[in-house]
Amino acid sequence: MNAIFLIAAKEWVDAFRDRRSLYTLLIGALFGPLMIGFMFNQIARQQKAAQEIQIPVTGPENAPVLVSWLAQQSGVEILPGPENPEEAVRERRAEFVLVIGKEFAAKFRDSRPAPVQVVSDATSQSTRSKVSRLNHLLAAFSSETGGLRLMARGVSPGIVATLKIEQVEVATAQQRAAMIFNFIPMFLVLALFTAGMPIASDSTAGERERGSLEPLLLNPIPRWQFVAGKWLAASAAAMLGMALTLSVTMAVLFRLPLEELGVRNAVSLAQVLLLLAAVAPMGLIAPAVQMFVSCFARTFKEAQSYLGLLMILPTIPGIVIVFYPLTNRPWLHPLPILGQYAMVSEILGGKDLPALSLLGALAVAASLTGLLLALATRLFSSEKIIFGR
Amino acid sequence: MIAAQNLHKQFGSVVAVDNVSFVAPDGAVTGVLGPNGAGKTTSLRMVYGLLKPERGSVLIDGIDMASHTLAAQRRIGVLPDISGLYPRLTPREHIRYFGRLQGVPSAELDHRIDTWVRLLDLGSIIDRRVAGFSHGERTKVALARALVHNPGNILLDEPTNGLDVMSTRAVRELIRHLRAEGRCVVFSSHVMQEVSALCDRIVVMGRGKVVAEGTPEDLLTLTGCASLEDAFVHLVGPHGETA
Repeated sequence: MNAIFLIAAKEWVDAFRDRRSLYTLLIGALFGPLMIGFMFNQIARQQKAAQEIQIPVTGPENAPVLVSWLAQQSGVEILPGPENPEEAVRERRAEFVLVIGKEFAAKFRDSRPAPVQVVSDATSQSTRSKVSRLNHLLAAFSSETGGLRLMARGVSPGIVATLKIEQVEVATAQQRAAMIFNFIPMFLVLALFTAGMPIASDSTAGERERGSLEPLLLNPIPRWQFVAGKWLAASAAAMLGMALTLSVTMAVLFRLPLEELGVRNAVSLAQVLLLLAAVAPMGLIAPAVQMFVSCFARTFKEAQSYLGLLMILPTIPGIVIVFYPLTNRPWLHPLPILGQYAMVSEILGGKDLPALSLLGALAVAASLTGLLLALATRLFSSEKIIFGR
Repeated sequence: MIAAQNLHKQFGSVVAVDNVSFVAPDGAVTGVLGPNGAGKTTSLRMVYGLLKPERGSVLIDGIDMASHTLAAQRRIGVLPDISGLYPRLTPREHIRYFGRLQGVPSAELDHRIDTWVRLLDLGSIIDRRVAGFSHGERTKVALARALVHNPGNILLDEPTNGLDVMSTRAVRELIRHLRAEGRCVVFSSHVMQEVSALCDRIVVMGRGKVVAEGTPEDLLTLTGCASLEDAFVHLVGPHGETA
C-alpha cells in the first residue's frame, strides 16, 4: 500500500514541475469564475446604462415642451440628433434617435395626436433597455399632457384612464443574473476534468512515450498499485483544481453588486462545503476515465487530443442546464455529471440535500472508479501497451 | 543464477523466439550475442517477466518467474533497451523513487546513492534535472536506478549501444565490478568486440534460436575458427542467417 503513495507523490512532484500542468490548473480554475464575474458586471452596467440615458433628438425645435419635459426627468440628457437618423442607427453611429417632425408643433397646438418617431435597431441587444425606457418616458408625457387637456375642458382625467398602471420592474436583469448562477455547476465539473488531465495523461501515455513504463513495472509491486497511485495523484490534482474554482467563484460572487441586481446572495460556508461534497464524487471518476482513455494513446499529445474530446461530455449537459435547471429531480443525484449539476442547482437554490443523495453519488462514483481502474490495470498488463511505442 | 528453459514467443505468425534455453551462472558475465532481430530483446523481456512466454519457463535463483513474479523480479535488476527517464526529475530522485519502490529503507538509500555516485562518477549531475542529459549520462542514471536494490541477477539490454568511449569504459568497469561481487550478469549485444572483451560465457542467437552456447574457447573449438569474429560469422551466417 505504501507504494501507492510513493507513486502518487512522484507523479505529483513530476507534474507540478511542468509549467504546462500548472497553467492548465490555474486557467481551468480561474476561467469559470472570471467569466461569471464578467457576465454579472455586463448586466449591472447595462441596467445602470438604461437608467441614465442620453437621447439624441432630431428636430428639438419642433417640440420645445416635450424636449424640456424629457430633460427634467432624472438621468436623462438631451443630445442634438443626427441629420439622417435612420442611416445613423443602421450604421451604429447612434444607438437610437428620437425624431420630431415639423408637423408636431401644429398638431400639438391643435390637440391632435402629434407624431414622434423612435428610430432603433432591434437586433442590438444592449440598446433594448434604453429604448424601452424612452418609450416609457414618452408614454408618461403623453398621458400627463392628455390629463392636463381634459382638466382644461372640465373633464376628470380619470375617465380616460381605464387602468391605473403601477410601475412594476419587469426584472429581466434579475432573471439573467440568476441564470448566470446556472453556469457554476458546469464550471466546477470542468475544473475537475482540466486539473486532472495533465497527470492522467502524462503518467500513462507520457510514460509509454518516454519508455519509462517498462523499467517502472519491473519494480516488485502488484500491477493495480501502479494504477491506483497514478489515479490518486490525478484525482488529488482534480480536487485541488475544483476547490480552487469554487473558492475563486465565491470570492467573485462576494465582490459583485448582487443585491443591486436583485439576486439573493446567501451562500454560507456550510453550503460551500456541501457543494464540495456534491461535486467531489466526479473527482474520483473523471481522472479514472481520463487514465483509461490515455492508456490507448502512445504519446502525451495523442492522449491530450482524446481528452479534449472527452471534455464535450460534461459541457453539453452543462450548457443545457443553464436554460433548464435540473431542480426537484432527486433521482438524478447519483448519476455522474448530471447528478453533480442537479445537486449544485439545488444547493445554490438554497435547498438542503438529502444525505441519501450524497451517499448515492459517492457509492456510484466509487464503483465506477473501481471498475475503470480495474480495466486500466488490465491495460497496464498488456504487452502491447508496455512495449508498443 | 538465471535459467531459461525452452522459451517460445510468437507475434502473430512471426516466431520471435523459438525454443531458447540458456543458463547464466553467478559470478560470471554471460553475453547474449546476435545480429539485430535475432530475438535477444524478446528473450530478455521474457526472462525479466514483462513478456509472457507461450511455452517454457524462467527460474531466477530457482524461483519461477511465471508463478512467483514479484519474488523473482525482486532478485533482478534490469536495464531495458531504452533508458526511459523522467525529464523533470534529478538522478537522485530517480534512484530514490525506484529504491523506495524496491523496498530499500529510506535511511539506507542516501548511503547507496553515494556509492553509485562514486562508482559511475555522477557527482556533477546528481541533483540536476535529467532533461538535456547526454546519452551516456542517461545510461548511467538508468543503471544506478536499476541496481539500487543490490539485485543478485542483472540483465542489461545493449548497455553500451551508442555510448562514447569514456561511457563505454565506465559501463564495462561496472560489469567487471559486479562480476567480482559474485553476481550473475547477463547482457545482450550485437557487437563482437564488446562480448569478447567481457564475457565468460556466450550465448549466440540467430533468427530466434540459440545457435551455440559456451565459453569463448568452446565456440572456437566448435567452429574451428581462429578468431571469435570468424566464429560468429560462421555461426549466424554472413547476412545474419543461421548456418
